[in-house]
Amino acid sequence: MLPDPASLVIQLLNGLQYGMLLFLLSVGLSVVLGLMNFINLAHGTLYMLGAFLGLSLVGVTGSFWIALACAPLLAAAIGALFYGVLLRHLQGESAMKQVLVTFGLIFIGIDTVRMIWGDYEEAIAAPALLADSIRIWGQPYPAYRLFVIALGLVVALLLWLGLERTRLGAVVRAGVDDRVMAASLGINIDAAFFGVFCLGCWLAGLAGVAVAPVLQIYPGMDVAILIPTLIVVVVGGPGSLRGALLGSLLIGMAETFGAVLLPDFASFMIYAVMVLVLLLRPGGLLPARQTA
Amino acid sequence: MVLLAAAIGTWWFAGYAGQDRLGEIAIAAIFAMSLDLMVGYGGMVSLGHALFFGLGAYALAGLTLFLKWPPGLALPASVLLTGLVAFAIGRLIVHLGGVFFIMVTLAFGQMGWAWFARDRLFGGIAGLSGIPQIDLSLLGGDLANPADFAIVAVTAATMVYLALARLIESPFGAVVSALHRNAGRARALGCPVQSYKLAVFTIAAMLASLAGTLQAQRTGFVSPDLLVWTSSGELLIMVIIGGIGSLLGPIAGAALWTLLHHYLSAVTPYWMLIMGAFFIAIVLFAAEGLYGALARLAWRRPHV
Repeated sequence: MLPDPASLVIQLLNGLQYGMLLFLLSVGLSVVLGLMNFINLAHGTLYMLGAFLGLSLVGVTGSFWIALACAPLLAAAIGALFYGVLLRHLQGESAMKQVLVTFGLIFIGIDTVRMIWGDYEEAIAAPALLADSIRIWGQPYPAYRLFVIALGLVVALLLWLGLERTRLGAVVRAGVDDRVMAASLGINIDAAFFGVFCLGCWLAGLAGVAVAPVLQIYPGMDVAILIPTLIVVVVGGPGSLRGALLGSLLIGMAETFGAVLLPDFASFMIYAVMVLVLLLRPGGLLPARQTA
Repeated sequence: MVLLAAAIGTWWFAGYAGQDRLGEIAIAAIFAMSLDLMVGYGGMVSLGHALFFGLGAYALAGLTLFLKWPPGLALPASVLLTGLVAFAIGRLIVHLGGVFFIMVTLAFGQMGWAWFARDRLFGGIAGLSGIPQIDLSLLGGDLANPADFAIVAVTAATMVYLALARLIESPFGAVVSALHRNAGRARALGCPVQSYKLAVFTIAAMLASLAGTLQAQRTGFVSPDLLVWTSSGELLIMVIIGGIGSLLGPIAGAALWTLLHHYLSAVTPYWMLIMGAFFIAIVLFAAEGLYGALARLAWRRPHV
């Protein structure tokens, strides 16, 4: 039973949109993991904060666009605070300690959100400009979702340009390749990493606000999105931009089509893919470092 | 010894809820000790240990509800079944280190969760209830009564503790400790590192599944929540706050976490914030946990 082309295209777009969301989230986490060998389980918390801050900003200013612009900055600021106060000290520590402390932060994050914004599911309405549907192949499709896809692609492009064409990008790539060497060349790796970390937080916050009109926002959304994000990072390859893009598209499509075609097995398959990649190609599909 | 006295004292004086809590703590203690075996002694940090807990519980459910086995037989069978699964998984992954091991255990745990959350036979996300309890009427007991259940659970926990203590003090345990400290050196001495790690992994998994079966007996109910990764995370927290690398530590941690969880959530809806902050403080400032700190105060050398 082949689906008709219209619904196929719809699902394709849905998968693309979910993939873009995952991309925005995973690229930050991936680069931090690849660069600093640091697992930040609280990455999803910044996503959640971005969404809720966006909610408040929309409530205060009445404008979605202001929220989209400002919430990620706030998220980045909070991330910077986390880093300076807490995470910086964990840099050299064992993986377990990093996992544990950031896991503890998740707990704190969820309750902080609950304290400030309450327990209920919220939603942000799509901005007036994008509230309509566009006809694709005869089917209506929310214009806002197309916007999310476009946003993701634009970000991907900008990140790629930044990585390949700027000095900071070169420093980051050098650091991923060989941190010790880069540091011994006099490059201030720590500052570069801090910058990258904040950028990752900014992206997480952006993802949070951007996706709010599509998904429900609620305390605990950080945990819900964390696992797919981790899967993307593992499958794509830590530290790699292309890996994050490939991984998020793969997982986004797999989850979307899986939910439609094989609802009982979709989730299971995603995790199975993660296991396979970890066992067969632990560096991921498109690793940043060439693992010898 | 002190803990046992405390347990008996609590059982004696506490009411219905207190005894139920005691049973809960005993189960958590077994679960936590099993994780500590893997993490503290074996050096393998797992974020998917709840998988085995859940497998034990679900196996018990499946055997008793679908195959109509008597629960007294199904319980050890479930533990063995989980052991087989753990052996298979362990063979694939024990050679991995650090970050990778954490992530692959997380993935396996979530695979299990996803499976049971969707599988209609096992009730999906709502789970299954009505799991029969072992008939102890010959001994004059009834597992539905929290007092009797608490006795069984605490006895089980004590036996697990004693067994693990023996294991750790044995030559096997000595090798495992050596592996943890310096795997390279152990390998250079001709020690089959992976086999020992696999053994530890499997034993830890079977103990976790024992805890799982007991949980199914306690509540008569299984659900995918038993397997979700945050359960594994909470377990790791219990072990850490109690004191990693010991056996009494996880027991203390299990008790502390369970009690704090219940007490704090009665007092404030924001117990997670307090627990999270408390936990981070412990990780950063008191890495040996509650037990480690007490041990330093009370004894010269920490006991097992």
